[in-house]
Amino acid sequence: MTRSFLARTPSVLIFLAALAVFTLAITLLSEGFGAGLISTSFVKTLGKTLCLCLVALAMDLVWGYAGILSLGHMAFFALGGYMIGMWLMYARTEEIVVTALAQGGLPATPEEVQQGIATQIFGVVGSSELPAIWTFAHSLPLQLTLALSVPGLLALVFGWLAFRARVTGVYLSILTQAMTLALALYLFQNDSGLRGNNGLSGLQNLPGLTDTSQDLVSVWFFWASALALGLGYLALAWVVSGKFGSVIRAIRDDEARVRFLGYPVEAYKLFVFTLTALVATLAGVLYYPQAGIINPAELAPIASIYLAVWVAIGGRGRLYGAVIGAGFVSLLSSLFTSGRLPDIPLGPVSIAWVDWWLVILGFSFVAVTLLAPKGIGGLFDRFLHIGTPDRKGAPLGPDDGSLQEQEAQE
Amino acid sequence: MRLTALLAAALFWLAPVPALAEGEAAAIVAANRDQIEKPSRQSIGQVVTALAASGDPMADDILAAWAEKRLVVRKADQALFLATPEGDGFALTALDGTPAGTAAKAELTALKPNAGVRSVISSALVQFTLSDPDPAKRRAALDSIARDTSPETLAPLRASIPTEDDPGLRAQKERLERILALRFDPDSAARVAAIRALGTDTALDTRAALNPLVATTRIAALKAPGGNVARVLVPGRDLTEAEAYDLLVAANLAPARLTAEDQRAALVANIVEGKVGGVPVADLNTEAARDRAYTALEASGAVPVAATDDEAAKVLAAHRFYDVFTEPDPAVTTAATDALAKIDRKVAAMQAVDLGLDALSLAAIYFLAAIGLAITFGVMGVINMAHGEFITIGAYTGYVVQLFVPDYTLSLLVALPLAFAVTFAAGVAMERLVISHLYRRPLETLLATFGISIALQQILKNVFGTQARPLTAPAWLDGALTFNDVVSISYIRIAIFLLALLFLLFFLWLMKRTRLGLEARAVTQNPAMAASMGINPDRIAMLTFGLGSGIAGIAGVAIGLYAKVTSEMGADYIVQSFMTVVVGGVGNVWGTLAGATMIGSLQKLIEFLNPSNTLAAQTYMILFIILFIQFRPRGIIALRGRAAGD
Amino acid sequence: MTALLEVSGVSVSFDGFRAINNLSFSIGPAELRAIIGPNGAGKTTFMDIITGKTRPDSGTVTFGPRSISLLGLNEARIAREGIGRKFQRPTVFEDQTVEANLILALKAARSPWKVLFWSPKPADLARVRALANEVGLSGHLQRKSGELSHGQKQWLEIAMLLAQEPRLLLVDEPVAGMTPAERAQTTDLLVNLAQDRAVVVVEHDMDFVRRLDCRVTVLHEGAVLAEGSLDHVTRDPQVVSVYLGRG
Repeated sequence: MTRSFLARTPSVLIFLAALAVFTLAITLLSEGFGAGLISTSFVKTLGKTLCLCLVALAMDLVWGYAGILSLGHMAFFALGGYMIGMWLMYARTEEIVVTALAQGGLPATPEEVQQGIATQIFGVVGSSELPAIWTFAHSLPLQLTLALSVPGLLALVFGWLAFRARVTGVYLSILTQAMTLALALYLFQNDSGLRGNNGLSGLQNLPGLTDTSQDLVSVWFFWASALALGLGYLALAWVVSGKFGSVIRAIRDDEARVRFLGYPVEAYKLFVFTLTALVATLAGVLYYPQAGIINPAELAPIASIYLAVWVAIGGRGRLYGAVIGAGFVSLLSSLFTSGRLPDIPLGPVSIAWVDWWLVILGFSFVAVTLLAPKGIGGLFDRFLHIGTPDRKGAPLGPDDGSLQEQEAQE
Repeated sequence: MRLTALLAAALFWLAPVPALAEGEAAAIVAANRDQIEKPSRQSIGQVVTALAASGDPMADDILAAWAEKRLVVRKADQALFLATPEGDGFALTALDGTPAGTAAKAELTALKPNAGVRSVISSALVQFTLSDPDPAKRRAALDSIARDTSPETLAPLRASIPTEDDPGLRAQKERLERILALRFDPDSAARVAAIRALGTDTALDTRAALNPLVATTRIAALKAPGGNVARVLVPGRDLTEAEAYDLLVAANLAPARLTAEDQRAALVANIVEGKVGGVPVADLNTEAARDRAYTALEASGAVPVAATDDEAAKVLAAHRFYDVFTEPDPAVTTAATDALAKIDRKVAAMQAVDLGLDALSLAAIYFLAAIGLAITFGVMGVINMAHGEFITIGAYTGYVVQLFVPDYTLSLLVALPLAFAVTFAAGVAMERLVISHLYRRPLETLLATFGISIALQQILKNVFGTQARPLTAPAWLDGALTFNDVVSISYIRIAIFLLALLFLLFFLWLMKRTRLGLEARAVTQNPAMAASMGINPDRIAMLTFGLGSGIAGIAGVAIGLYAKVTSEMGADYIVQSFMTVVVGGVGNVWGTLAGATMIGSLQKLIEFLNPSNTLAAQTYMILFIILFIQFRPRGIIALRGRAAGD
Repeated sequence: MTALLEVSGVSVSFDGFRAINNLSFSIGPAELRAIIGPNGAGKTTFMDIITGKTRPDSGTVTFGPRSISLLGLNEARIAREGIGRKFQRPTVFEDQTVEANLILALKAARSPWKVLFWSPKPADLARVRALANEVGLSGHLQRKSGELSHGQKQWLEIAMLLAQEPRLLLVDEPVAGMTPAERAQTTDLLVNLAQDRAVVVVEHDMDFVRRLDCRVTVLHEGAVLAEGSLDHVTRDPQVVSVYLGRG
């Protein structure tokens, strides 16, 4: 325990090096800065994938390490997207409105600009008033602050309520799922102030950079995503490497025991839940300008469940496993659902990948859970000969069963 | 004239009904031939009354034909006939009812009474039908009057009441008489009496009749208007100042305010050498600067003078605003307001009952959807995320059965057990292949069943397509049990309610009275102890899981009967089912029932309070549940003490 | 002598069943006490109440020189006040090394922020080594504790308890599943510990209790039936009838 953090965790250095090489390679192959062998849309896909890897890291911390199967982290991710999207959309619309009003002979008044923006953005839901939640949308610093504080606060309040009531296990999972659903349903309303099911769009256009090609912008965002992933990995690896990591893993394995050691278990859970919500939010802030559009469907509970699937396939309880899982599955998913793969002819019927990809994903997920609980990351263990403890304790006697019952009920 | 007709009619109804007066009508027509051919509204009343009073069964035919311009004169002999179009020409009937051959159109001249005469005739006709010996005809006449109310029908309706011998019809007539009287009776006291007599009748037509009486218009005036004032409005409290000012503008009591667009247009039109009213154009990017420029233009007379804020406030202060009843009679409006208030209270109570019924039926659906989930969760500690897909499979089973069995009743009887069998088998297979390998890892089980859920949903989508498939209920389940205009419940919902009740009883019986139930309860409370007492937990788990899934299948058929069958149908119910289990508590049928009742009622209540927005209703419901968990973390009905683990 | 722990008039019932019935109990700051009683006497519930796992329906529980009430506090807070509990079966964190287990238990700040920025100082590591040494695990510090034998886990857990430096130690059937040699070692350890702190041992094994040579409290149906030396309580006719009558 005396060695330095990086020396103790060589995987961090390996990961950061790999990420740097990857970033450099993509930059050199991109249309914006290099050989143009990789299309701009694929650079965007890769940039988005890096953001998904970042949110998967957060999921791994909260689930793989702390044992809280949150089915709500994609809600924080999407909220981050909404928050940054508000600024992007406002600022971009402001440019358009100011230009349009200047044609009218008089320079525009602030009220006219405001009105013009409101009509432009909310005409689609039949409103011409800027809702109160858009108060800070004109300012990037303010809106960025909101982007991190609103989801953070939501996580804090929700987590406080849930952990305080000692909701654990599947109950907690379902409750987080319900929270996500509630949020999605709320945003689906036209009067939610966020354009109902239209969502926010045109987010790929950066205000003030109308003339800059998306070829460049995509690489910039790719860099930002890579940087965020690198820093996020470093930070989370540091968090889990020390005593804090030890405490949260202990909470995962036997939270009652940790309580009797004097640790305020609920505070730890709340800390981890909120911290990971913030990481997820950050990932969302970077993701949606690359995606260009966000709507309430992004908050659907299923998105958070996919997140859990990625982490499980990659391997829980190890950060690189989450990154591998998210990268591998989401890239595979975009490949299969792109429609670019040829159908498989089977006599009278032909099998379209688009239709069957989810079936494959679902069943392979079941297979991973059953056969390889450590996911892809488990392969590294085999390679490095890190085994499970070679001697599990003897069966714990007849009380063993009741422990399980207790887990099930919590 | 109308009074005469009325009097005559009254006399007629008071007099004993002539036994038989065949030919009488023809005689009256003959006697008044001139009047009939060249009728005037003033004098024709007596003839119509006489006809009406004749008691001749032909009289109403003659009147009807006359009103419809089918009373014709045959040019050849100037005789009168009733004409009925037939082929190219007309079939003729003599006035005493005997057929009189046919005639071409050219051979006839139709009598064309004017509108005034026709209304006298139709009023007399109403009287006929209202007193027709055939109750069905009387009922039809009443319905037509109720559909199309007019002042003329009041008198004949009133006249027909005393002789009505059918008690049901009589009550209907009296009710309709009141509804007409409160609108059309010339006497204020009679109208008030009619309103009072209606009491707290909640029927839609009563409310439709009363509502126009309390309709108001909003006016602005310098002093109190002479009309029937409903209330005095204070700007800023009862209506916004902008609305009040708009009223003044509409009444030409004040000039229109200068809108931002008008101001802008006026300024743009008056740009002179880059300046407007002395203000440089580049500076006109605030409202204050624009106001300055406009004032300067006003001073120079280039633009019309617009009201300033001060002036507008002054004008507002000088005027009063009123809601004025359209109905001039204060006694009537007061009575109507009172009556409506009473009716509203009664309707609110009825709506509460209706809401209760809705909530109950929703609770029954949630109970059906959740009970399987609750049982597996209770006994095995396993949350089956694929439960929703089992519901869908059940519904599709029903759909497939209907493809082969066209009789809906029979197909339903086949579909219910078949859906149970199919999903039971699917559940057992899933338990054996997946879940039994994951015991003691509840979160993994949750995710594995979720993987199955994704795959199943997509397979169903691939097989059945994305469009909704019909699952048709038998005809005897169509329609609704209607108590009154407010309270009603559809038969399908009643059937689902009964089905849920049946399952509740079934489960109580299964859990309390059978060996399986005993063993399942033992496994729920202490699996290790149960195992050591010779209960095979694997078998119990398999059977419970199969049972839970089987009920999901049956719930699927039930839900499919009134909702669309799509591959995502189950997913729509799964979150509510989870909530039901969470709120209700685990391992207890009563808990699930309580949870379902609570979730169902709550959802209906929130929907009622915010009817425009069912999405918001779900949002608030989930928020409520999160708060509920704070107080009852283990649900409404939870195991307590040491048995609860912890 | 002021009592370290003072339990008075405590009652608790589960669904009508009175598990603890008007129970009063106190123990001094440096005292060894054995609690015996037939099954269902309320021994475990008694410990649950002290450690905050179960809230009593009535009564008071005060602890420490300042006599703070434990009833409003949660488990973690009570543990931080200085009450350690050893469970019947060893509960160590099997996925983590022996060293990590001991560091977890080491007396230090417990709040998330402080733990996040905590790093072991040489003194901490020395203490960990000393504790491991004391329980014969010094060679196993870097092994995952899941790999230890049952007895070694028991010792690890005892070492974790010591690392917490509690003022009151609640020990539930410490010698279950131990070899005679380990029993003797445990006896010595407990007696030794009771020199400067309070130790409450719940035990069935009369031989072991006799070897502890301390005051004995007999619980029956949720209340104290008798208290005194083992010889004293075993002569008590009521105790005899409870033990013999109920098997």
